[in-house]
Amino acid sequence: MAALPRRIIKETQRLLQEPVPGISAVPDDANARYFHVIVTGPEDSPFEGGLFKLELFLPEDYPMSAPKVRFITKIYHPNIDRLGRICLDILKDKWSPALQIRTVLLSIQALLSAPNPDDPLANDVAELWKVNEVEAIRNAKEWTRRYAMDN
Amino acid sequence: MASILEIIFELINNMLQFFRLGKKSISNSLNIYIKSNTGSTLSIELDPKWDIKNVKEVIAPKLGLPPNEVKIIFAGKELDDSITIEECDLGEQSILHAVQSRSQSKRSRPLSESVANLQLSNISENDDSSSTIEEQLESSEEKGIKNTHFYVYCSQPCKSVRVGKLRVRCANCHSGALTVDSDPSCWDDVLKSNRITAHCEETRCETGPVSFAEFFFKCAEHTSQGEKDEAVPLYLIRPNISHVPCLACTDISDPVLVFSCEERHVTCLDCFRQYCVTRLRERQFVSDDRLGYTLPCPAGCENSLIEECHHFRLLTSEQYQMYQRFGAEEYVLKAGGVLCPQPGCGAGIIIDTDCKRVQCVGGCGVRSH
Repeated sequence: MAALPRRIIKETQRLLQEPVPGISAVPDDANARYFHVIVTGPEDSPFEGGLFKLELFLPEDYPMSAPKVRFITKIYHPNIDRLGRICLDILKDKWSPALQIRTVLLSIQALLSAPNPDDPLANDVAELWKVNEVEAIRNAKEWTRRYAMDN
Repeated sequence: MASILEIIFELINNMLQFFRLGKKSISNSLNIYIKSNTGSTLSIELDPKWDIKNVKEVIAPKLGLPPNEVKIIFAGKELDDSITIEECDLGEQSILHAVQSRSQSKRSRPLSESVANLQLSNISENDDSSSTIEEQLESSEEKGIKNTHFYVYCSQPCKSVRVGKLRVRCANCHSGALTVDSDPSCWDDVLKSNRITAHCEETRCETGPVSFAEFFFKCAEHTSQGEKDEAVPLYLIRPNISHVPCLACTDISDPVLVFSCEERHVTCLDCFRQYCVTRLRERQFVSDDRLGYTLPCPAGCENSLIEECHHFRLLTSEQYQMYQRFGAEEYVLKAGGVLCPQPGCGAGIIIDTDCKRVQCVGGCGVRSH
């Protein structure tokens, strides 16, 4: 395997030394481009109290290409589908090499606080979120309790 | 004992030097053309150690003028008597302009110094086109040249990105016998026309003596091939004076590529190449009607498209060929044309609106419907 670019080494060191509150990202022992991520559900959101596991992979041409990020823990969210894929502009066409792992994870955390049903990935969830937000939030809390706590 | 020998040796050496200077014999000569504003051209051998006063003494008799009535103009500046040839970034077969003048105008330091505070006098002449700009820069530093300020694409004969030098001529008559009224203070002064006024000494110039300066660039790494030998300025490549880290790899390199967005985002040249190749493979270049096939700042800033497409000459030749091919394909598709589907052909065909049957005539001859 090619040597790890200095930027990735620096980002990893900083993630470990000064972690973002509510987010932990640890590189895999066998693959320094693969990160085990845990995001705490933000306060005052239906995901509060949950610990969400994600995987983050830095492709070969990172930072020219965006990191690949996916939720492993099941989550009831209009912008995250059943496979854990995330609909977030900075992971796609709005990616810029000026962004970092840190900023990506912060954006994902912010997405949990502010679901956007008008740009859905999980259509059924988004639909319910629009027509009956109370029930959608109740589902989200239920999923958080069932899948994102005590495991 | 050794010290006495050294002193004697130094004495002899000094005497020899005095002797050499006195006879104006040339140890390390530079072949220079002197152009006068009356139309004649002289070819002379100069010693880089000579000052402008020496030069005047040599050329004045040949022009039939007293030395104190000769003005020497180079790159938009009348050179002061005390400046030595090696302080100007004169290359082999450069042209100096000699004009007759009784009046004493303001004399100044060479343009290379006043604009960029640097000298490019002894750039190597070797054309190792396989080495990268960074390598060339390193080798330049070894030879005592620091902070090279201009980069150009030299299409002939180097065919690659090179260190460049700034030159100036009259916007009207294109004569180099011109002194600028002020130094350019920004790239717009250099790249846009009619921003800096100048005094043209060319007797045949119609607008003279007051004219506009027209700046242009030459490749500093091959012997000048005359007045038409120009190079394209790659003005986004700049020395990293304030040590800005690359936005992609965060290393601090020199030189760097500075994008034209408001934030002036910076990438190192390696990351720029990687950025281009990634975007090229994903076909994410922008086809701009005015600028052609180009890229914005990697941070996606507004108004940051690269206007001078020769910057993509930083790519390797295979990558640049890919850039050219993709650019041409995008253009054909945008113009409503089609590409030949035969593998390895891919010729672009613009079809007539009422045509139902297409044959790739110039390319591979494959027919399709």
